[in-house]
Amino acid sequence: MKSFLIRPALALALAAGLAGCGGSDKAEFTVGGTIYTLAYPGLQLSTNGTTIDVAPPAKAGDPVKFAFPNKLEYGDEYNVQIVKQPAHQRCDLASSYPTNADTAGRLALIDVQYSCVINTFTIGGTISGLTVAGLVLTNGSTGGTVTPAKDATSYVFSLPVAYNQTYGVTVLTQPAGLTCSVANPTNTMGDANVTNINVSCVPNR
Amino acid sequence: MKSSYLRAGAALACAAALSACGGSSGELLLGGVYSGVTKAGLVLTNGDGNRLEIPPVAGGNGTGNFYFNELVGTDDEYDVKVAGTPDNVSGCEVVNGKGRAAFNITSVQVLCTFKKHALKGSVANLKGDGLELVNGSDRVVVPAGATEFTLAEVPEDAAYGVAVLKQPSSGQTCTVANGSGTMGKNDITNVAITCAP
Repeated sequence: MKSFLIRPALALALAAGLAGCGGSDKAEFTVGGTIYTLAYPGLQLSTNGTTIDVAPPAKAGDPVKFAFPNKLEYGDEYNVQIVKQPAHQRCDLASSYPTNADTAGRLALIDVQYSCVINTFTIGGTISGLTVAGLVLTNGSTGGTVTPAKDATSYVFSLPVAYNQTYGVTVLTQPAGLTCSVANPTNTMGDANVTNINVSCVPNR
Repeated sequence: MKSSYLRAGAALACAAALSACGGSSGELLLGGVYSGVTKAGLVLTNGDGNRLEIPPVAGGNGTGNFYFNELVGTDDEYDVKVAGTPDNVSGCEVVNGKGRAAFNITSVQVLCTFKKHALKGSVANLKGDGLELVNGSDRVVVPAGATEFTLAEVPEDAAYGVAVLKQPSSGQTCTVANGSGTMGKNDITNVAITCAP
């Protein structure tokens, strides 16, 4: 009678002990990370066959956390790649370490870090009639100046303009004996270099 | 007689040895970066001793690196101070300027802040809303009936250029007079916007 009760109890204990070693307790790793200064939607990241969208933060300027839904096992390799850049921005690894590609389990926490910058584009245009040197163009107070040489037929400001920033090109100094005017001098920067801020110079009367 | 020669010789050798340990001998650099320097006038000193004048870099953006000509010795104390400032800055702040030298010091920061002055002007005959003026990346919306506008302050000696980003909804065309120049020591108030018809 007694042994009849002990045997199932032992079997039960054994089963419970085995379950403790089973798959459900195996270490799992989440590939995640942080993205700094993300401001626009569209960013897509991928690793191990899964792609996720990362939206900008609710409060501008806050860092964004991301995590891939597929868990990795100890020893699995991951390689986080940017599938698509966000609109108007470019994101890159914030530093060479922690890296975007490693083996799960080597670090206690997988936290791949990216930082994003607003895309910038150059502004410039054509020049006609600049028969002497001395013309100085300025893009406001912070956009820098450009001094095209005599007989130049085009110019580009060395300082680029960020997406969604305004620019306004005006003549800071007229060349001797000429009056130069600027066409299409102002706008808000889009997603391409601006090449239509054309300058034409005519002799003074 | 002999002993007096000896004594003089010993004193000389002693003096020579001491002078070798004097202020200018050292083996470590003392310097760092500066910003906001577009004009001559910035003078730095290390303590009350070594002096360094920092000239502006032509065509530069007012930033650069500096090193004192004299090296400092290991374990010497250093204390970088501002002894003179260019006349277009309100002041220069020294960051990481004080310490004891253990290796080349490249982390001193001298940050000068430009004096700023107002950029504003008059508006005439503006009948509709929506006029937008820019000075580069700075923008101001001017409402109907306004007789003046103010843009962000501009650093002394910096260029400015006021232009129309958007014409008003009234169908008028507004033009800018005296829109460009270089900020002097006083506010700019003569930019004139005239709208027609």
